[in-house]
Amino acid sequence: MIWLSLRQQRAETLLTAVMLLLLAALFVPAGLHLASFYTQDNVAHCLHDARLGKSLACAQTLSDFGGRAGVLRSVMPWLTLLPGMIGVALAAPLVLDLESGTYRLGWTQSVTRARWLGARFGTAIVAALAAGGLLALLFTWYREPLDKVFGRFDGSSGFDLEGIVPVSYVLFALGLALAIGVTWRRTAPAVITSFLAYIGTRVFVDTWLRQRYVSPLSVTWSVNATAPAPRSLNYAWTLYSGLSDRAGHPFSGGYAALQACGRVAYNGSKVLNAHCLARHGAGFNTAVYQPVSRYWEFQGIEFALFGGLAALLIAFAAWQVLRAD
Amino acid sequence: MTGALETHGLGKRYGSQWALRDCTLEIPRGSVTALVGPNGAGKTTLLRLAVGLTRPSEGSVHMLGLDPHDDAAQALPRVGFLAQEHPLFGGFTVAEMLRVGRELNPSWDEEAARARIAELELPLKKKVRSLSGGQRAQVALTLALAKRPELLLLDEPVASLDPLARREFLQSVLEAVAERGLTVVLSSHILAELERVCDHLVILAVGRTQLAGSIDEIVSSHRLLTGPRDAAEDVARLHEVVRESHADRQTTLVVRADGHVYDSRWTVHELDLEEIVLAYLGQDAARRREEAVA
Repeated sequence: MIWLSLRQQRAETLLTAVMLLLLAALFVPAGLHLASFYTQDNVAHCLHDARLGKSLACAQTLSDFGGRAGVLRSVMPWLTLLPGMIGVALAAPLVLDLESGTYRLGWTQSVTRARWLGARFGTAIVAALAAGGLLALLFTWYREPLDKVFGRFDGSSGFDLEGIVPVSYVLFALGLALAIGVTWRRTAPAVITSFLAYIGTRVFVDTWLRQRYVSPLSVTWSVNATAPAPRSLNYAWTLYSGLSDRAGHPFSGGYAALQACGRVAYNGSKVLNAHCLARHGAGFNTAVYQPVSRYWEFQGIEFALFGGLAALLIAFAAWQVLRAD
Repeated sequence: MTGALETHGLGKRYGSQWALRDCTLEIPRGSVTALVGPNGAGKTTLLRLAVGLTRPSEGSVHMLGLDPHDDAAQALPRVGFLAQEHPLFGGFTVAEMLRVGRELNPSWDEEAARARIAELELPLKKKVRSLSGGQRAQVALTLALAKRPELLLLDEPVASLDPLARREFLQSVLEAVAERGLTVVLSSHILAELERVCDHLVILAVGRTQLAGSIDEIVSSHRLLTGPRDAAEDVARLHEVVRESHADRQTTLVVRADGHVYDSRWTVHELDLEEIVLAYLGQDAARRREEAVA
């Protein structure tokens, strides 16, 4: 039965493997490049030496380093669609079996339906785990220097493509496509629908839910130019940041109030007068953020969320198959 | 010893629609039974119930004395099933299809399967999807036979085949029956080819069993009576009237006679199997046949 499951899933497994190979062909050389720039440009020095870090040269180095990653860094957020594609593709052969009626051939051999189900679902799940794991491994490795400079909460791709969550995304997409496909029994519409549902769920979690996993922290500091932003904001995921009063109440005055506090500096730029701002209740900056120390906690929560959803969807699909007429 | 296939008040409902209802029959072991009825009569449903692809809504079905659903692990190895359209994995080669049979059936007879494929001159390396309909049917039958089942269920096995392929396919079934004495149930809405192959008949119409028995017994008990209209009631008292049609003064009856018809007012004719089946399937089928002939 295992042989049959693998054989029926061959095309999709090969497709996934080719996709992973192409990604590796793109990201492995790029990752080696990035790592060599990291040492060449002495990026580590700028990061670890506080005094050096403030120098103009280091600011230049760090901003240049972002550019080294180039176009790949900007396309990375798109790659978060890949786990969805892989998961959905791995579910397709099973749905096709149901659509074309060939499942009747499998169910009338000497193996029981439960065993058939175990083998078919099992191979799909194992393939999903493997593909998700390799994907996560590749991107975690590639982003290592970037993480050192920009942090692991960088944009969304730092969180979405690293650690353990990609594995749960693949499983989730597989579960969606199985549940929808087994119920609908039409491959093309089921695959498209489940891929859209995958995107919808991911967007909802990325933009709304994730920041609420644990209530965020907040920090308030003076706008006085000599006071630097607090260290706790380093590499943190900043959800909000803006002017406020000492207690952290956000500044509610209009633009006119800020205008009144402005003066033109010698180089022509506008500088805000700190005392004036303080009088208007805007003498401080407040940031609401998730500290970088919560990274793995968030990874765990998100893994449990998508992994749990995947388990429910797969269980539903299995139940549908077992009771199918 | 229980029959090869037994049903009691078997019924299957899809939504509010009954696909099969109140079906009670027993198919003896070693028989070759034709399951006949118009499209939508519940033939496919009955066969799917028998092999456990579907669960009954009411009543019970037993295959070789086993419940096909609850005792699936014991029942499945003992039954061969060929679904309509002979589903096979299109992207597999013939050799791979044989491997499917080998991997999924502990009782698989590899030698016999290879021999059959060689005898039919089916190319092992060719993909199933590039085979002709007749070749595909033969591959599917090979799969079902090499499993060495005691009971073989064939759902409309020849409907999609051309006349030559039909003949070859049924010949293969007959050979298997002769070799191994297995029980076969095959459904069809065409009787002509099956008459040669089958010794038992079950007629299903509008989701119910209309007639079941051995073909010899069925042919010898049915008669066509022609006589005066006012005498029809007397016949109905003694014999089961399957169908009646009236002209001006004359009435024609198809009866399942309980013994001989001695009433001298009636002229008695013998009927062949096809005429009997058509009588059961009613006016509707008869008209369709006339249209087909014309």
